[in-house]
Amino acid sequence: MKTKDRQAFNALNGKGSERADRLHRFLMESGFDFATGVPCGVLKHIIANLVGDKRVCHVPANRESEAIGLAAGAYLAGKKPLVYMQNSGLFAASNDIASLLVPYGIPALMLISYRGCEGEDAVQHLTTGHATENLIRSFNLPYEVFDGRKRDINACVSVLIGLMTERELPAILLLKRGWYV
Amino acid sequence: MKRADVIEIVATSTQCDDVIVATTGLISRELFERFDSERNVYIPGSMGLVSSVGLGIALCDTNHRVVIIDGDASLLMNLGSMVTIGSRRPKNLLHIVLDNGAYASCSEESSMSGTANFGLLAKDVGYKYTATVGDREALKRAILSFKGGPGFLSAITELGGRRDFRRPQKLKEIKRRFMRFMSRQPKGKI
Ligand SMILES: Cc1ncc(C[n+]2csc(CCOP(=O)(O)OP(=O)(O)O)c2C)c(N)n1
Ligand SMILES: [Mg+2]
Repeated sequence: MKTKDRQAFNALNGKGSERADRLHRFLMESGFDFATGVPCGVLKHIIANLVGDKRVCHVPANRESEAIGLAAGAYLAGKKPLVYMQNSGLFAASNDIASLLVPYGIPALMLISYRGCEGEDAVQHLTTGHATENLIRSFNLPYEVFDGRKRDINACVSVLIGLMTERELPAILLLKRGWYV
Repeated sequence: MKRADVIEIVATSTQCDDVIVATTGLISRELFERFDSERNVYIPGSMGLVSSVGLGIALCDTNHRVVIIDGDASLLMNLGSMVTIGSRRPKNLLHIVLDNGAYASCSEESSMSGTANFGLLAKDVGYKYTATVGDREALKRAILSFKGGPGFLSAITELGGRRDFRRPQKLKEIKRRFMRFMSRQPKGKI
C-alpha cells in the first residue's frame, strides 16, 4: 500500500461517498428498518448513514455474534434487519449464522468488509481473507463481491435481496477496500 | 429448586402474551416438551445468544414483554449482552438466569458462575430491577412483582432432573408460528 493510500484509508474525517449514499437510499426503499453490527473503517459511510437515519432502529453490538442474535430477534418481531461487520467478524459469528439464521430461515442482509485481499498491508487479515469466500460457499449462502468497479452496487444488492427472500437465508455483500470511491 | 420448577413457574406465572426465549440445551428442550407454545422461541444452537435475540425482540415490539431464560454458562459466553441491554434499557425485558453452576446439558461440568455475582453485575450495567431467588415461591413472587425493566433474576437451581426431552426440530415452523403470534397485536412504538 502506498503512503498516500494508507493516509487516506486511516483518515477519520474523509469525504462522503456518493455511492454509499445511493446504496443507503436503495436500502431504505427496500424496507430495511433495523441495523446492528460492529464497525470497520471500510464501512464507515454505511454506518454513518444508518446512524443518521431515523427510519432505522440501530442497535450497536459488542461482538458480531451478538449482532446475529439481535438481527434474528428483530426479524422475529417483524423488522427487516441489516448486519454490518468485517470479514474477521464473519468467522467469529460463523456458528451463529449456521445454527441460528440458517435453520430458522432468517433473511438478514449482511454488509461485510472484505479485508485480506490483494494489496492487504495487515497480516492478521490474510488467513481469513483467503478463506472468506470458501466459508460462505460451504455454508451455501448467496453472496456477491463488490470492489467499486464495473457493476452497480444496487444491482448486486437487488440480486441478494431476491435470493435471500426466496431461499429464506441470510445473504452477504462483500465490500472490498475502496468500494465507495 | 430444580430446572423443572423454574421452567414450570416461568411458563405459568408469566402473562399469556409474554414472549419466552429459552437458551441452548436442556432448558429449551424442557420448555419445548412440557410447555410448547406459539409465544416461545428456542435457541438450540448459537449458545449465549438467547439474551441478544430477546433484546432484539423487546426493542422492536414493545407491546410484548420478553422473558429470557438464560443458563449460567450461556450468559458467561455472551456477557457483553448484559451491557447492551443496560445501555438500551428496554422496559419490557426480564432476563432470568437459571444458575446451576454447571454445564448441566453436557455432563454437569462446573461453570465459573460461583465466583461471579450476576445480580451486582446487572445492577452495575444498568438493569433497573434485580433479585436472586432460591425457591419456587420467591421466583413466582419476583416474576409477578416485575413492573418495569430491564429486570434480572438469578434463579439458584440444583442439578439433576430429567434429561431425555425431545428437541425442537422444525425451526422454520416455530418461526412462522411465532411471527403470526406477534403480528396479531398492533406494534408498540420503539
Ligand atoms: C458454541 C457451543 N459450545 C458448546 C455447546 C455445547 N453445549 C450445549 S448446552 C451447553 C451448556 C449450557 O450450560 P448452561 O447455559 O449453564 O445451561 P445448563 O445446561 O446448565 O442448563 C453446552 C456447553 C454448544 N451448544 N455451542
Ligand atoms: Mg448451567
